[in-house]
Amino acid sequence: MGEPRELWRRVRMLFHRRRFQADLEEEMRLHLELRTEEHAENGLSAETARRMAYQKFGNPTVIREKSYMAWGWGWLENLVQDVRFALRQLWKTPGFTATAILTLALGIGANAGIFTLVNAVLLKDLPVVDPQSLVRLGDSDQCCVDRGPENGDNYSIFSTDTWQRFQKNNPEFEELAAMQAGLNTLAVRRERSQEPAHSINAEFVSGNYFHTFGLRPAAGRLLQENDDVQGAPATAVMSYALWKLDYARDPSVVGSTFRINTYPVTIVGVAPERFYGDRMQSTPPAIYLPIESMPVIRGKDYVHDPDARWLYLIGRVRPGTALAPLQQKLSVQLRQIFASNKFFSGVHHSLIDRVQVPLTPGGAGVQSMQDSYRSNLHLLQWIAGLVLLIACANVANLLLVRGMERKMEMSLRTALGAARTRIVRQLLTESLLLAVIGGFSALAVSYGGAELLLKLAFPSSQDVPIHATPSPTVLGFAIALSLVTGVLFGVAPAWISASAQPADALRTGSRTTGGASVLQRALVIMQAALSLVLLVGAGMFAQSLSKLEHFDMKLDSTNRYIVHFDPQSAGYTAEQLPALYRTIDDRFHQIPGMVKVGLSTYTPMEMYGDNASVRILGKADPDRSSSYVWVNSEYFDSVGTRVVMGRGFGPQDTATAPAVAVVNQSLMKAYFKPGENPIGAHLGSPDSPGDFEIVGVVQDTTYGSVYWKDHSMFFTCLGQQPLSATTLTNKQPNVVFARAITLDTTHPINNLEALARQALSSINPNLSVVKFQTFSAQIGEQFTEARMLSRLMTLFGALALLLAAVGLYGVTAYTVERRTSEIGVRMALGAERGSVVAMVLRGAMLHTTMGLAIGVPVAFYGVALVKSQLYEMKTVSAGALAVAIGTLLATASVAGLIPARRAASVDPARALREE
Amino acid sequence: MQRDEIPPGTLYLLILKTLALHGELHGYEIANSIQYRSNEVLQVEEGSLYPALQRMLMKGWVTAEWGVTAGNRRARYYKLTAAGRKRLAVEVSQFERVMEAIVRVIQTV
Repeated sequence: MGEPRELWRRVRMLFHRRRFQADLEEEMRLHLELRTEEHAENGLSAETARRMAYQKFGNPTVIREKSYMAWGWGWLENLVQDVRFALRQLWKTPGFTATAILTLALGIGANAGIFTLVNAVLLKDLPVVDPQSLVRLGDSDQCCVDRGPENGDNYSIFSTDTWQRFQKNNPEFEELAAMQAGLNTLAVRRERSQEPAHSINAEFVSGNYFHTFGLRPAAGRLLQENDDVQGAPATAVMSYALWKLDYARDPSVVGSTFRINTYPVTIVGVAPERFYGDRMQSTPPAIYLPIESMPVIRGKDYVHDPDARWLYLIGRVRPGTALAPLQQKLSVQLRQIFASNKFFSGVHHSLIDRVQVPLTPGGAGVQSMQDSYRSNLHLLQWIAGLVLLIACANVANLLLVRGMERKMEMSLRTALGAARTRIVRQLLTESLLLAVIGGFSALAVSYGGAELLLKLAFPSSQDVPIHATPSPTVLGFAIALSLVTGVLFGVAPAWISASAQPADALRTGSRTTGGASVLQRALVIMQAALSLVLLVGAGMFAQSLSKLEHFDMKLDSTNRYIVHFDPQSAGYTAEQLPALYRTIDDRFHQIPGMVKVGLSTYTPMEMYGDNASVRILGKADPDRSSSYVWVNSEYFDSVGTRVVMGRGFGPQDTATAPAVAVVNQSLMKAYFKPGENPIGAHLGSPDSPGDFEIVGVVQDTTYGSVYWKDHSMFFTCLGQQPLSATTLTNKQPNVVFARAITLDTTHPINNLEALARQALSSINPNLSVVKFQTFSAQIGEQFTEARMLSRLMTLFGALALLLAAVGLYGVTAYTVERRTSEIGVRMALGAERGSVVAMVLRGAMLHTTMGLAIGVPVAFYGVALVKSQLYEMKTVSAGALAVAIGTLLATASVAGLIPARRAASVDPARALREE
Repeated sequence: MQRDEIPPGTLYLLILKTLALHGELHGYEIANSIQYRSNEVLQVEEGSLYPALQRMLMKGWVTAEWGVTAGNRRARYYKLTAAGRKRLAVEVSQFERVMEAIVRVIQTV
């Protein structure tokens, strides 16, 4: 279009097209009139004068078009024409159009939905300044407090001392922030207010934490270096969410005193609105406290223990810092630190040389949640991709069928002189138009879909800092995907139609006997194969979930409730605990319908655990770690664990009575020979194995996760403590805080949560309910991910089946259509209706069977790839395979039967007449 | 009388030159002028002036304005621009060069 001024004139032209057209029209009319008048003056008749003027002028229509072309917008006019024509064509075949658009919308929508989720969970950076220059020291989730060597050589959590040394010795970091690996629930109450204490998630962070992330406060100020000093006035920063939800953005919160675990702390400011902490998690921290305030607030000594590793480190490196040498340098420094660590002496000394501090990108923070969802999300991406493939095959098939049907039309057009390129362009416009409409419908699907996926993925929490709003990237992705589909699957049919020899097509007329083309058949077979794979997958995940849910966990959850609470954050001391436990027992037993009240440090099927090495007195150290739970005498009954040998705990096991323990069957099998009686044996830490006398054996109730098999456990009695117990638990003697109350009731009690809160706050206003759940809900939470996977697989499997059925139906129906006259002849010659139905069905079934032949091995291969995500299933189960094949065959016969019956109802006379 | 089609590619030249001679003309006048000055030899399909004029408008060689004819009718008058004058020079020299070459070819004995 040459120079810019010319372009400008053309653009102006486009917008004033009507005026320009009118101008041209008027001057052309004037010209003809003047010429006619001239001829008339020369004595010609009016009619002749007019005719001669036109003759000399040329064809006005052609001239008009040539002039329009001169404006340079011919292509646009053509496009508008093509689009209008395409819309008309699509409108004329609503069935085809709706099916194609729906197919595209579902196929692309599913992908865009999954991609949104992936984008939000896996690819999202923290809302901080310049996330690219943040580096995390470590690569995994090693919660929460560790002392000895890790499994493997990579270290991800560090002691306070190590953090300070790293900070001092590595000028490559502009800032190096430290944050608690395992967050705590603390009891928070505003001072001089009537509100009861509530439990919130809190994180202890270094003074430079907010500065490292480059954040600005929403109110007040953020933590500074001088807040994180021993003896500094206690300060804290509140999260925006807590400030908004509980305090209605009350500005007076800043500067006021809050009781955190009964200890007075000044809230100095509010964190920025979008900041959800240094990691993605279902309950982001609501309060940030300086590391140095931990000993006072939580009574934990490991803050100043140089061997206790409990901090994640994220630093901002100076521009241009090479990470490989820095990683080397940090690793060497950590080895030097470990050289003086007592846990790395003796046999473990050789481990020191292999110690590494892996540096990983820190822009997304600590990616523990991302790590746990990564494999599932990637699986879903693959599945959605398969669904899209099926959808594309469907659209391709529909377009092919449509192309064939319009062969006559195209031949006629070609015969009348239409250029092949023009026909191809017309057909391409149609498929692109379909793709664009499909793409926009897909956006609607993905918008709703991502929301739904998010609900499926994180059903229990409203605070997940993930938003299922499709980003511009996702929008672009969906549109691009639909365009590619449109072009790819629009070109082939367009080309096939356009390359038809018009004479051939016209000559053949309606006398067709051939069915669908090879390409169409191949597409249908592929669809059948892929949907079989997805159906098998859906079946496998459903079976896996059912196995998980029906796994005998050796417990009873009917009419049982679990109240998590935290006497430590309410300020209880060791001396007050026995009385507290007795009071809790009394108060809860007063609730009508209460059967048993269990007290314990934790309960079955929750992600928590205390582990220790144990030894049996008089036996060798088996080098095996066991989990232990402190419980009260009604605990086993309250969770439904049965005692299989000896006895459980009873009122006789008082603080002054000999310390006793109960072990589970796995521990018994691991430590005792078959037939050997464990009752009466003594058990304890490797240093003092005689601490506890074993008085009973219980079933292997599942704690933690159903994936832990044969996990040895022992139970000790709350309130009892042997003299040497310090070495077992590495805690202060006799300070064992119960964390859970398990309530076994005669019938469901609807207001039990309120009753539990009342009972606790009547004992002490600082005692709050951390979490109240039915036992079943707590168990169900462990299966959330498996349930989500299973549901989504079923959803996608059903989608695939539906699409494949539409594809099969389309091809069969098309074949029947093409063979109408052939079928008519057959029937005129005496073919039975039944045999016609069978003939058509045979065709449909042949495709399905070939699809099965391809799909079955692919399904086996696919399941082998994902077996780590299935519970105790190594290969395709016969059941899942049978159901998948049955479903596919049944769907295929329905999809084939409809056109088959139509074929059988062909009136031979009519079919022959058409001939 | 023998009438000839104009040589291809010379329509711009003829229009430009005509406008240069007469200043402002409307389409009908341009057609008449070309016919008259060529002693009725050059035969322009009159309608083809209009797409050419549209192209020249886009190129910025001419401008157009509505005016009134002697017979008191509304007509669109075209006028050369500076760019149009430059273009005329280019077209003329181009045409002369081609003509000379053709003449040389056909006069060689």
